[in-house]
Amino acid sequence: MSFREKSAWITFIALLAFGIYFGEIAQHLLDGAAPRVSYFPLFLGLVAALVVLEVVMHIAIAMRSPQDARTPRDERERALAQRATVRAYYVLLVGAFAAIGTMHLGANAWLLAHAALFAVWIAELTRYASLLYDYRQGAKA
Amino acid sequence: MSAGAISNNIRRLRFEHGEMTQQALAERIGVTRQTVNAIELGKYSPSLEVAFRIAGAFARPLDDVFRYREPGDGA
Repeated sequence: MSFREKSAWITFIALLAFGIYFGEIAQHLLDGAAPRVSYFPLFLGLVAALVVLEVVMHIAIAMRSPQDARTPRDERERALAQRATVRAYYVLLVGAFAAIGTMHLGANAWLLAHAALFAVWIAELTRYASLLYDYRQGAKA
Repeated sequence: MSAGAISNNIRRLRFEHGEMTQQALAERIGVTRQTVNAIELGKYSPSLEVAFRIAGAFARPLDDVFRYREPGDGA
């Protein structure tokens, strides 16, 4: 597996782990509780933990294959990244309109912000899932 | 990015050039080994520039390395 594929896996898993935050929010909404701002420490804590995890894991995989890590992206990798971004864009577009839709269903600013954040999260997951799928399809070495 | 109609002789040419590894070829033409593998398996069609670099690495003309078959051409 190439350095870039490992890197994409790390980011994908870190993004999945961020689902903990949305799980908490969903539980909160299902309980019928009023939105509150006390989720901010959880949000900040998760972001900080995932950034640290990403940095540490990237250093670890770069140390295992330093030459691979130094090699700039080639044309195929750029094409795969571009394709993944296009796919994620459509997901983001749908998510953005859905987030706007929540406003018309009576959502307040807190819910609207979380709907937008959820759309960004799903779009990023789509981007990395697409990248990993294409790496697997085109690099069965 | 689909490479269905384009075939190549890279594997044979690597063999004829002292069993050159995919990694060695990748370093000569400035792409990753995974990209050489994808090209060799016909999963990725390289740009014209990379195609010329591959041909150059084997000191062969381009059509000795790559072949294009028209869609519907059974030959």
